[in-house]
Amino acid sequence: MMSLFEASWVIARRDFVASVFSRSFILFLLAPLVIVAFALFFGNMADGAERSANRPVVALVADSDTVNAIGEARARLVAGTSDEAFPILRQVAPAENVQVQARALLADEDESYSAVLSGTVEQPVLTGPAGVDQYTGRRLQLIVDEARRTAALDAAGARVRGAPMVRAVTDQAAGSLQVVRRVIARGGQGLIFIVTLMLATLLLSTLVEEKSNKVIEVLAAAVPLDAVFLGKLLAMLGISLVGLALWSGMLALGLTFFVKVVEDFVTLPAIAPAIGWPIFVVLMLLYYTANFMLLGGLFLGIGGQASNIREIQTISMPVTLLQLMVLLLAMNAVGGDGSGAVVWAAYIVPFSSPLAMVAHAAQYETLWPHLIALAWQALWVVLIIRVSARLFRTTVLKSGSGGSFFGFLRRGRRSGS
Amino acid sequence: MLLGIIEPDEGRRSLLGHERPLEAARIVGYLPEERGLYPAMTTREAIAFMGALRGLPLEIGRKRAAILLEQNGLGDYVDKPIKSLSKGMAQTIQLFGTIVHQPRLVVLDEPFSGLDAINQGRLEHLIRDEAASGTTVIFSTHVIHHAERLCERVAIIADGQIRFEGLVADARDRLRPQVRLKTRNAEGEWRKALPRNAAQSGEYWQFELPKDGIEPLLRALLDGGAGVEELSIERPGLHDAFVAIAGASAAREMEASLQADLGKGA
Repeated sequence: MMSLFEASWVIARRDFVASVFSRSFILFLLAPLVIVAFALFFGNMADGAERSANRPVVALVADSDTVNAIGEARARLVAGTSDEAFPILRQVAPAENVQVQARALLADEDESYSAVLSGTVEQPVLTGPAGVDQYTGRRLQLIVDEARRTAALDAAGARVRGAPMVRAVTDQAAGSLQVVRRVIARGGQGLIFIVTLMLATLLLSTLVEEKSNKVIEVLAAAVPLDAVFLGKLLAMLGISLVGLALWSGMLALGLTFFVKVVEDFVTLPAIAPAIGWPIFVVLMLLYYTANFMLLGGLFLGIGGQASNIREIQTISMPVTLLQLMVLLLAMNAVGGDGSGAVVWAAYIVPFSSPLAMVAHAAQYETLWPHLIALAWQALWVVLIIRVSARLFRTTVLKSGSGGSFFGFLRRGRRSGS
Repeated sequence: MLLGIIEPDEGRRSLLGHERPLEAARIVGYLPEERGLYPAMTTREAIAFMGALRGLPLEIGRKRAAILLEQNGLGDYVDKPIKSLSKGMAQTIQLFGTIVHQPRLVVLDEPFSGLDAINQGRLEHLIRDEAASGTTVIFSTHVIHHAERLCERVAIIADGQIRFEGLVADARDRLRPQVRLKTRNAEGEWRKALPRNAAQSGEYWQFELPKDGIEPLLRALLDGGAGVEELSIERPGLHDAFVAIAGASAAREMEASLQADLGKGA
């Protein structure tokens, strides 16, 4: 008998070649890229459109001196913060009755002003509904105060220069480090989750082909079912890694280009997970594999029980929910003090363990828990594959579906009675 | 169960000296009744893959596949996908896949079902060749005719039990030869010499060959002036033996399924 791994290799090689060298694989590879490009393109467009649409526009009905003073005050404030932090001011020449003009301006749907600021710096008048006080009102108050302060200082002939700040540069600050590491932890979890989510249906349906064309009988007669399951999982893992390599390659290319362009203007913070990038990348790959094998083994087992694509479609929604639950559990491992029952549950429950441990790697330096976790997860992979294969053998192969040896036996039995 | 696809509830089994059938996978070939081939694979790859499943290195499998296809006049199909083949052709490819690793035992499940006469002939030829080269071939069939032509030994299964196991000749010998007789004169003293269970249909009498041979009857026929027009002694076919062994109901069922198969093939 071939060893389990030899047999798995034969199965995996067939599946891998059949998938990777098919035309639809190009579609499989391109789909996420197309989606990302689509999201970026429309996200940008929508973002740009939304940014100006969401910011309140205030009509500034005042003489030119007031307009200048307020405009300069706003510019100074914006220089210290950002343009988005303050409402947009639009100058409107004052009419005879400013109160009537303000009401007319507020009623104009084409211009869509949020409020009208009139009067002078000393006696400003804000016209608008009660709702504008919270955001627009406070910021207008800041601008007007700034204008008044400057005018007062100018009048007194005083000149306040900004204090030269002495800069002491350190490596990192614990506060920002924690934040960065949490971002890395979440990012790592999210990445693994999304890729596995995309492949879930693929995994569920992978045995349907063999069942529908009876190849399963040829396979089951030649190699152990465990090898069939393991081989199929390995093939899918290989396929997904090909995809990942291509996707991350393109991403890296894009990032390199992006970083090259912006590095002259921006200093990128030296962000790193607690365990360091090289080990983190290795662990990410290992946990991705573990996560894939665990969920994949489960899905393969579930999918093996289904006898057609319709059943697969029905079952894929609960399976997606299951994945979401696993992600939610694993997210508890991000932040906090790394203890507590829920966090421990996230580490121990085999399905959430890989995701939770990715978060662990991002946040803590210790290496040994990963060895234990990987061994624990590997144990479960073996267990799940064995159980799936056994279940498949008892429920699917024994029940048979007409024809073949099993059918012959049944026919024989009927004929005797 | 013999091949390890399903596990026995109890008892033990042994295949070529191995308690676990999969341990003997390298020296066993199995052809399921339904087409167990990936439709998108080329014929060569499908044959090599089936060999690889049983431990034959892929490279050797590919070479042997090409040779097998070439030898059987299918050289043009080396790079054709399975889905472009007819049912008979696909079955032939699958048989190549079953024997490509040169097994000592080949198990064929209903190899001829749904095939036309030409493809049946081709398959039969291949099976004979395989047997001639020393491979043990076991196949299941509902068509007694195939079993009779191809097999040395048969096992008759009815009601989930083996009713007979042995040489084809032995199975046929279980029944006495059948005598068919036609006489010019319908009546006469000679009729007393006929066995009691002799059945008359039209002008013919049909009965089992009497235990003491045909000579006493012949003498009576001649002396009684029966006027023998036709007299034949036929050895019973495997079909008759099957009917006798498996029971008439099983035979009827077989007839029905055979008719259904023929209907499908047409």
